[in-house]
Amino acid sequence: MFVLEPSIIGAYVSDASVEQAFDPMSARVARVLLIEDDPETASEIRAELLERGYVVDWAADGIDGLAKARAGKADILIIDRMLPGIDGLAVIDTLRKEQVRTPVLVLSALGAVDDRVRGLQMGSDDYLTKPFALLELIARIQALLRRPVENQQIVLRVGPLELDLLTRTAKRGERAIDLLPREFRLLEYMMRRQDQLLTRAMLFEEVWNYKFVPQSNLVDVHMGRLRRKIDGPNEPPMIYSVRGEGFVLRAPA
Amino acid sequence: MRLPEFARTTTFRSTLAIFGAFTVCTLLIFGIVLWQTSAYLTSNIDRLVDDVAKTVAAGDPLHTAQRLEDHLRSDPRRVKLGGLFDSAGNRLVGNIESLPAGIMVDAGAQKVTLTRVDDVGRKTQTARAVAERLANGETLIIGRNLDEVPEIFEITQRVVVLGLLAALCLGLTGGAWLSIRSQRRIEEVNRKIQRIVAGELRQRLPTTGNNDSFDRLAALVNGMLDDIETLIQNLATVGDDIAHDLRTPLTRVRIGLERSRNNAQSLVDLQSAVDHAIAGIDHAISIVTALLRIREIEQTRRLVGFDNVKIAELLREVGDLYEPFTEEKRVALTVKTDSEIMVRGDRDLLFEAVANLVDNAVKFTPEGGQIELTLAREGSSGIVRVSDTGPGVSESERELVVRRFYRSDRSRGTKGLGLGLSLVAAIVKFHGFRFSIVPGPGFVAEIAFQPTSP
Repeated sequence: MFVLEPSIIGAYVSDASVEQAFDPMSARVARVLLIEDDPETASEIRAELLERGYVVDWAADGIDGLAKARAGKADILIIDRMLPGIDGLAVIDTLRKEQVRTPVLVLSALGAVDDRVRGLQMGSDDYLTKPFALLELIARIQALLRRPVENQQIVLRVGPLELDLLTRTAKRGERAIDLLPREFRLLEYMMRRQDQLLTRAMLFEEVWNYKFVPQSNLVDVHMGRLRRKIDGPNEPPMIYSVRGEGFVLRAPA
Repeated sequence: MRLPEFARTTTFRSTLAIFGAFTVCTLLIFGIVLWQTSAYLTSNIDRLVDDVAKTVAAGDPLHTAQRLEDHLRSDPRRVKLGGLFDSAGNRLVGNIESLPAGIMVDAGAQKVTLTRVDDVGRKTQTARAVAERLANGETLIIGRNLDEVPEIFEITQRVVVLGLLAALCLGLTGGAWLSIRSQRRIEEVNRKIQRIVAGELRQRLPTTGNNDSFDRLAALVNGMLDDIETLIQNLATVGDDIAHDLRTPLTRVRIGLERSRNNAQSLVDLQSAVDHAIAGIDHAISIVTALLRIREIEQTRRLVGFDNVKIAELLREVGDLYEPFTEEKRVALTVKTDSEIMVRGDRDLLFEAVANLVDNAVKFTPEGGQIELTLAREGSSGIVRVSDTGPGVSESERELVVRRFYRSDRSRGTKGLGLGLSLVAAIVKFHGFRFSIVPGPGFVAEIAFQPTSP
């Protein structure tokens, strides 16, 4: 099993995210608008994002946030659920009515399922319950900035890895890989998001479609199974663990 | 005008209404009795006067007057009337002053007004009388005073009025007494409720012990208060448990950070201390998250997520999710679903409940053990059963393990929050199903539900 050591994680993740922080369409640095009323939380998030190469704009209340979001310069909005002035969900609602389609990540101290559903229905694209890990936040921002194109490709390719969606077969180079349906789904999800950090929670929500947090590290076990099939004994690794947080699929260097 | 307090109570008003109805009934009954009595009396009198008239008229015509006088003589109550008139209408004998106006001859007994004359005096009265034309052209009249009937009427009236007056007094007093009594009880109950609302949860509503409707209501409310009191006590205990369960990891974090702040020799030392601290804080967070989740499920009234759930499919999915995990722990997981029954519920929550039970089973089953996930039908209900070959829990612990933060001896040394089974219980309760830990070998948890007909 390949575990990235802390120092390597730093290098690896920041490397990946600097690459990530560029908007591929216009080849410029991705801009984040953070609407969060707690200055300490805001400054930590801001510092983290700046380190990773994002340009960060900060608004401390809903009114200011709405004004800045309307200016339309941000590539992604991070909005706290409870804000002074205008409520976070009301901000999103207003923006969506004005046809502002910028992706939104909602932060909330409320974990209620109903609340979560409402937040998403009101037009946000993802939802994180406080307290959250910074890496989880980064992973989700990356995922929102680079949503997979649901193209009609029949064969997905990452380096030597090939996944045929029609025949439901996989191979690495010339080696055929026998996958269970659930492993196939997981690999497909990862191949559509290569080089992206995928956290356990994201995988559990997206691949398995379950919204609860399992008590045991189920995702790790499933990933371990998949990894043993993908990364053969003498092959360079393709699935990396980012310790404690998630996984990345990349083509071998 | 403001009526006195007791007069405004329902009890008092119903007393009045009942009294009114009682009065109407009484009057009706007496009216019928009087009517029947007077009819009976009249027909008796009619027969009597008719008989007398016939007796007097029959026999020797010369002695008619004599017979009439004989008849009239013995009359201590002065009710007998009689007269013999010649064809010109002049009185020959008898105590009737003149031929009554409008009397019809040979037409049987009839009601007439006539004037009685005798040694006592002259008196006009109403009577039943019969008139007969004799062979010699004279007219014989035999009558009987009818004043008895109005007298009976009068007496009865007096009795009814007096009786009703007495009943009214009794009714008013009784009604007032009843309403004052119930009002006192209500006031007492009100006072108690105010104290309970003010926070004195130990207060109970008074009962008199005679098992009337008041008592039954009070018993019901008292039962409810018992439940609330227990709940609040549990809540307080849970609060203590939360404090304890959060303090433990937080203390570890604090000590670890403090020690490494003073003793760390290198960046790596510091980083590892920070990693430890993050893990500890994550543990604390997961406790809070799990608790909030349970509370959320317990409080939710959300039924929008309800749909027909295929239980067998759900169990197979749980099995599929946990299969690699059990394999890694070298525990065999079998899913047995013979029945394809459906149930109405929130699929995500039910999945979470079953997943939690399996998670629990995996945690406590030693290597080489077995876990069975079964869907069975027992009578009309469906049962989801998760059983393992682990140590199980003792009988005395079966109730306790469902409680928040309860961690039995078997869980000592394993990682966990002590909240998994509480979460399952909350989900099951929310659905209106039944959750129980049943005797086994090993740990056996059952969710019993009422399937929807397919």
